[in-house]
Amino acid sequence: MTSTLNFNINGIKECQRNRHPLLFVDRIFDVIPGKKASGLKCFSYNEWFFPAHFDDEPNVPGFIQVESLVQTFIMSFLSMDDLRGQKTNFIGINNAKFKRKIIPGEILTIHSILQSFRRGIATGSALSFVGDEPACSADFVVAVPFLLDQFKPKSTS
Amino acid sequence: MSNLDKYRTIFIESFEYSGIIEDLEYQAIAEWDSVGHMQLMAALEDSFSIELDVDDIIDFASFKKGIDILAKYNIVI
Repeated sequence: MTSTLNFNINGIKECQRNRHPLLFVDRIFDVIPGKKASGLKCFSYNEWFFPAHFDDEPNVPGFIQVESLVQTFIMSFLSMDDLRGQKTNFIGINNAKFKRKIIPGEILTIHSILQSFRRGIATGSALSFVGDEPACSADFVVAVPFLLDQFKPKSTS
Repeated sequence: MSNLDKYRTIFIESFEYSGIIEDLEYQAIAEWDSVGHMQLMAALEDSFSIELDVDDIIDFASFKKGIDILAKYNIVI
């Protein structure tokens, strides 16, 4: 049986470089480094964006939902010992779907799978729920620039 | 499809490039950056069923240079 890893907010900050006000996952659990990671994000009305999106109908903007998904996804590989603390860049987002409005007081539960990690390019997917109800999902391609730089040609001669 | 056709198609599809593919070099177009390079290497490995060594990935700096490198893997372009 494979044991899984869990990360509180300090552990998350040791693995990835996103910080307030752009850190959108509170807890990571059920991690098998190099394979999968799950996460929780609790949305309180104290979030900076709720008063602006929208003042009469606060709900989580789509781009922040995507950040919650991808910040959970990157923990599937940034939890590996040799990658902890590395920066990441988006390469692609595909098949993003938003099935449900997320409002203050709700908790988003995210499950992500790392399909491949090859020389600094990670591909995979994440899907999320509020309770039992499907929320948002997407497929991702994410790069680790530190690793890419080790493989790029040094000259054209 | 010949190996040359396959090789050309990988470049064209990886970089969505319609110019003279035989003259392409690393960073000659915006699409062949470090990310594009890794995607090109992955496409070549998948298409020719090979696994490139790190030194060859670093040396793979042009369309023409790539032909010499693939010859080391018994892929004759």
